[in-house]
Amino acid sequence: MEPFIVRYRNLLVLLALLAAQIVGLAVQVHRAGNGRMSLDPRDSGGVRLIRLWADALVSPPEIFMHATGGGIASLWHSYVDLRNVRRQNQDLQKTIDRLRLEQAALLEDARQGQRLQALLHFQEKYIYTTLAAQVIGSSGTTQSRVFYIDKGAADGLQHDMAVIAEGGIVGKVRDVFPHTAQILVINDQSSGAGVILETTRIRGILRGNAEGQPQIVGIIADNRIKPGERVLTAGGDQIFPRGLPVGVVDKVVRDPERDGFINVIVKPYAPLDRLDEVLVITSMEPRFPADQQQDMAESEAIKGAEVQQEEAQKKASTIMAERLPGLTEPNLPPEQQPLNDSTPPPPIAHTLQPLHPDRFTPGYTPNTTPDAQSGQSAASPAQPQQRNP
Amino acid sequence: MPVLTATSRRELEIHRFPVLVYALVPLAALVLQAWLPRILGRYAWFDLPLLVVIYFALGRPSPIQGTVMGCVLGIFEDALTQHPIGINGVVKTLIGFFSSSLGVRVDVDNHTVRVLLVLSFSLLSGGLYFFVYRVLLGLSMDWRWLDVLLPALGNGLIALAIFPLLDRFRIHD
Repeated sequence: MEPFIVRYRNLLVLLALLAAQIVGLAVQVHRAGNGRMSLDPRDSGGVRLIRLWADALVSPPEIFMHATGGGIASLWHSYVDLRNVRRQNQDLQKTIDRLRLEQAALLEDARQGQRLQALLHFQEKYIYTTLAAQVIGSSGTTQSRVFYIDKGAADGLQHDMAVIAEGGIVGKVRDVFPHTAQILVINDQSSGAGVILETTRIRGILRGNAEGQPQIVGIIADNRIKPGERVLTAGGDQIFPRGLPVGVVDKVVRDPERDGFINVIVKPYAPLDRLDEVLVITSMEPRFPADQQQDMAESEAIKGAEVQQEEAQKKASTIMAERLPGLTEPNLPPEQQPLNDSTPPPPIAHTLQPLHPDRFTPGYTPNTTPDAQSGQSAASPAQPQQRNP
Repeated sequence: MPVLTATSRRELEIHRFPVLVYALVPLAALVLQAWLPRILGRYAWFDLPLLVVIYFALGRPSPIQGTVMGCVLGIFEDALTQHPIGINGVVKTLIGFFSSSLGVRVDVDNHTVRVLLVLSFSLLSGGLYFFVYRVLLGLSMDWRWLDVLLPALGNGLIALAIFPLLDRFRIHD
């Protein structure tokens, strides 16, 4: 007779492996405050070690394939880019000129905002430094929307750093390895970012749904929310700075789990499914970074003078108009205002000579002496006599 | 469907491969599974590690090999996500065990049988994943049946191309 272990070894191996993994899973989840089960945001030592092994196994081939494919693609892109570089350069120069003008005009508002924030003991954080990184791989499953970048702890990356792309926000750094990092994308079901609708100023939490679309959840039904409204980061999650573009409202759907609540589906600005390069915000400071300050100073020097001169002219005109109210007629159109009217004024009519001039007649000068008075009376018989009290 | 008894199948053929194939094919499956979605975006409807588990498990009479390979590949897949490690491990452990158990009873060289088995195991894998995540762990997750059906169809098509290719590395006694 075969021993029990030999006879049922296949089943015993299966049960042993399943039991070990189920115990391991039980260690990794815990009951949250609301009674629901949730994952630990940070991995324990053993779990992190397994993730490190998997990353060490998969990342080097991914980086190699990315570099090989990138080299071939860059040759073609370089050729295409060269053909349009002159026109693009001119367009960019025009854009820079326009932006410098806008920046100089907005600078004063920004400074005023900073002063007010200081008064309210509220400190806004500005993006100080960013690090460009290449996307090298993904999780490989639609249930987990994470991707890997070719920068890690050696490049200064840390947990919970915000990741943005050219259009808008992308996600946050979830795990950091020596030379790579795992990014949790905003359309994953376990992600979360504080956002605000630009026009209606309604706040909510952005997370992904089963279809991989980012949606704002937990909003009370509000018919003011319309498709096309811009969505920005609210800045309250301590990860994304305030005011970064997220996307636009795509559609509004009913929350299937709660009556009276809606989910706002957001069309993200960043192409979350096809990202090649991202920027990791490595530090945020309560002041503008040095290069940005230098850029603003340059804008002020170049274009700020024009703006100030124009403002000064407008101000002087306004003051003059206020001090000379008679020169403006509120009932007349601007082109017929006295200051702007180019038509010659009408001729002044000659005044008629009075038949009996008296002391109210223009040009009359009273004479207080009796002789003069009598003389005046003689010269002017119709002049009434002065009363003597 | 051509069916063979376990005894006759063991006597007829046992698929053996060079050690390098056992090492490199699962690694290639993991790397490609992580890399291709970057290019294909939302159209990456396949699960290459699952295909590798099914292929190697079907070719061996002992369920232990398929079970262990499923466990290891599943754990490595989990390690590349932000989910708890062990969900895919449990799922692919079971798939490896079932594939091996079934592999000794059916003719796994028949393409139709292979595609049907891959389709069935892919659907079972999706269902098991949902069961472990939602029921066993009690975690919240929205679920779409298309996320299970489309990868199952994709796996079936890829199996038609990949399995004959892997057959070429087989050692013939």
